[in-house]
Amino acid sequence: MPSDQNQSPANMDVRPVKRPIWQRISIVWIVPVLALIVSLGVAYQNYANQGVAIEITFENAAGMAAGETLIKYRDVTVGSVEKVAFADGLTDVVVHARIDQNIAPYLDDDAMFWVVRPDVSLRGISGLDTVLGGVYIEGNWDKQADVAQTSFIGLETPPLTRADQPGTIVTLRAPDGSALAKGAPLLHKGIQVGYLETPDLAFNGKDVIVSAFIEAPYDAQVTSNTRFWDTSGFSVKFGTGGVSLDVNSLASLIEGGIAFDTMVSGGRPVVQDQVFDLFPDEDTARSSLFARPNQAVLNVSVLFEQSVSGLSVGSEVRFSGIRIGEVTDLSASVMEVRGVPAVRLRANLAIEPARLGLGEDATPADASAFLADYVARGLRARMITGNILSGSLQVELLEIENARPQEMTTTEDGYDVIPTTKSEITDVAATAEGVLDRINNLPVEELMTGAIDMMDSFERLANDENLRAAPASLTALMDEARGLIANEDIQAVPAEMRGAVTDVRQSLADLNAIMASADEQQIVIKLAETLETANAAIANIEESTRNLPQITAQIEAIIAKANALELDSLVANATATLASIDTLIGSDTTAELPASLSAALDEMTVFLAEVRKGGAIENVNAALQSASEAAKAIETSVQGLPDLSARASRLVAETEAVIASFGERSRFSAETLGTLRDIQSAADAVTNLARTIQRNPSSLLTGR
Amino acid sequence: MACSRCGRLHPITESYCTRCSAPLESRDFESPQKVWAWLIAGLVAYVPANLYPMLRTSQLGKTTESTIVGGVIDLIHHGSVGIAAIVFFASVVIPVGKFLAIAYLAISVQRKSLLNQHQRHKLYEVVEFVGRWSMIDVFVVAILSALVQFDTLASINPGIAAFSFAISVVFTMLSAQSFDARLIWDVDRTNHAK
Repeated sequence: MPSDQNQSPANMDVRPVKRPIWQRISIVWIVPVLALIVSLGVAYQNYANQGVAIEITFENAAGMAAGETLIKYRDVTVGSVEKVAFADGLTDVVVHARIDQNIAPYLDDDAMFWVVRPDVSLRGISGLDTVLGGVYIEGNWDKQADVAQTSFIGLETPPLTRADQPGTIVTLRAPDGSALAKGAPLLHKGIQVGYLETPDLAFNGKDVIVSAFIEAPYDAQVTSNTRFWDTSGFSVKFGTGGVSLDVNSLASLIEGGIAFDTMVSGGRPVVQDQVFDLFPDEDTARSSLFARPNQAVLNVSVLFEQSVSGLSVGSEVRFSGIRIGEVTDLSASVMEVRGVPAVRLRANLAIEPARLGLGEDATPADASAFLADYVARGLRARMITGNILSGSLQVELLEIENARPQEMTTTEDGYDVIPTTKSEITDVAATAEGVLDRINNLPVEELMTGAIDMMDSFERLANDENLRAAPASLTALMDEARGLIANEDIQAVPAEMRGAVTDVRQSLADLNAIMASADEQQIVIKLAETLETANAAIANIEESTRNLPQITAQIEAIIAKANALELDSLVANATATLASIDTLIGSDTTAELPASLSAALDEMTVFLAEVRKGGAIENVNAALQSASEAAKAIETSVQGLPDLSARASRLVAETEAVIASFGERSRFSAETLGTLRDIQSAADAVTNLARTIQRNPSSLLTGR
Repeated sequence: MACSRCGRLHPITESYCTRCSAPLESRDFESPQKVWAWLIAGLVAYVPANLYPMLRTSQLGKTTESTIVGGVIDLIHHGSVGIAAIVFFASVVIPVGKFLAIAYLAISVQRKSLLNQHQRHKLYEVVEFVGRWSMIDVFVVAILSALVQFDTLASINPGIAAFSFAISVVFTMLSAQSFDARLIWDVDRTNHAK
């Protein structure tokens, strides 16, 4: 064998070693097995995490993109859109999406999906983040895992109520949906506590129903006694309390709004989706509180003899001022009255037994018995004015004392008939027309003519040349008087003058007394008499004109007093007359107004006529004339006493003291000036009055 | 018998290399097994590499995911046929070719082959050489991910495919490496012996 080995290599017996299979398998095989396991594991995990496929149907898929658009729940991404496709027949867009597995069980029938887009509304701006990031689908569902669904219908607009939001949803029923808008606020004592969902037509087609969501804890305020009313826009109320304008929040002005309040306590707790009526305003809502819309009503009839125009279906029926029902039907029917067919106007009334005070469970039969009993004791129906302005009528049930006994009858079709009594209808239109007629008939023209005449008289008086000439005459008079005062003889004058003045004063006091005692009718005559007395006095004075200073003083005083008195009293009279006219016009007794006014105008006219006839003006003129003549007489006498004048001029120096005492600051001058001022102010007053009346003749009527 | 590590020749009776003490084997009889094992692992990894997105591009909140083939199609749509061809070549043709080549070689050592030993050896060398270039895709993804990171404005993140593609490439390289080229010639000899 060794030689064999040396010679040539023996053929190697190469045989595959039989090894057990687990030894022959390379350890490297672990790698593909691991790789496979990992791959399969990853694949499975991927599949398992893929989420649940759901379908959401939308009307359009604006902004949605497969693989990009996310589905969020409370701003957490819970899925994404896989595919956007059309439903069969291109009716809708079906969004295929995957939702996280742990979320999927909650997607039951209350799950909602909507697309979040930028939204600008009265309630604010939302969804701005989607401007850059693109739209996403927001989902909302409650925390109860119910029967999971995979097919949903997406909402076109975000729902107002989140599925898990605590609160109560009630259904409001309104006859008209024009004031209701989705999202409009629901107010309670002015605070928004909820909002409206989209209004919809009721199944009966008559009403509009809208769901209102009231947030917790405010929903505890809602009971079966809660009333809802419309506060949209603004309301203007015109009533005895004046005009009131109610405006709610700006949003409710535009969007409309609903307010509610629980008027009385003790209502039953509200249940979900309970139906409430929506009232047009708060007053109606409040007055409806005791109405039981579903309760049986007692139907009675009232047969009126006269026209029922103004009464309409829905007119109120009141009993002792409380609303107990309404008119349901109006018709005419022919009845036999004492054997003669006569047309009676029949009003059917629906009376709510509960409102008669018979308790909540009162039946119509109870009410009927109650009314029959009452009718026997004198209950009667009549029509009364409901609204003065619109002339609408109401039916009133009232108890009449000593009424002719009557029983409640029943019509053929089974209505109880309440006997009637005389209706009390205030026809405002007719009354107003009468008032206007009377006002039309007022002698306004005559009144104006009289007023203008009066003003003319005043003006003539004021413009009288004699009156104007008076100051000049007086100045001349004073100049001469001053000259005379210088005279030595005049030294004795003051004492005498004082006496004379006293006399004149006394006579003037008498005059005053007379004038004061004179009433409206007689004053002019007395005035005239007085003036004539004054004239006579002046004439007397003229006779005793030798006593110059005395006369001067008397004349001055008389003119002053006479002028002042006359003008004052004239003005006073006119004012008093006007005041009485005012009083008469302002008087409440409207019926007597025209008569009083006419009488007043008559008096006025008579007065003016008397003023004219009585010659007051002429008397004044005459007085002034006399004064002028007196002045002239004085002048003459002065001319007739030249040496007196000469001496007076010589004695100027000596009489300086006298001049000083009777100078410009003396009482004499002061009185003279005062007289002039009186005349001036009297003339001014008259002119003012005349101007005022000219400018605003209606002031005669209105008293202003 | 040459040491497979340091190349020193030894008599066949030696069990360990006298220079580097490496175990001496005239043939690695487990080689085909290893090749197949790595190849299968590579194939397994290659599947998700093509199914899952390679890149996740986020631009202003919008996230786009693209797979290899999807990216190639996108590039063609955008008219960049050249780049599409490069990507397609590097990411699809080369790996697939490698799989086929290695599989062919592994089969050929056990079965009769149409190609002669020289050609097969050449093929083996090509496969080994090309293997590393397959990583070009992974490099691109790695570089892009590192460079494009602008938070919400724009960002690129590697997808699952990038990882599995890299794994796949590594596995195929290992597969090619574990192939004992000497087996190519052994078959020839047994053929001759017969």
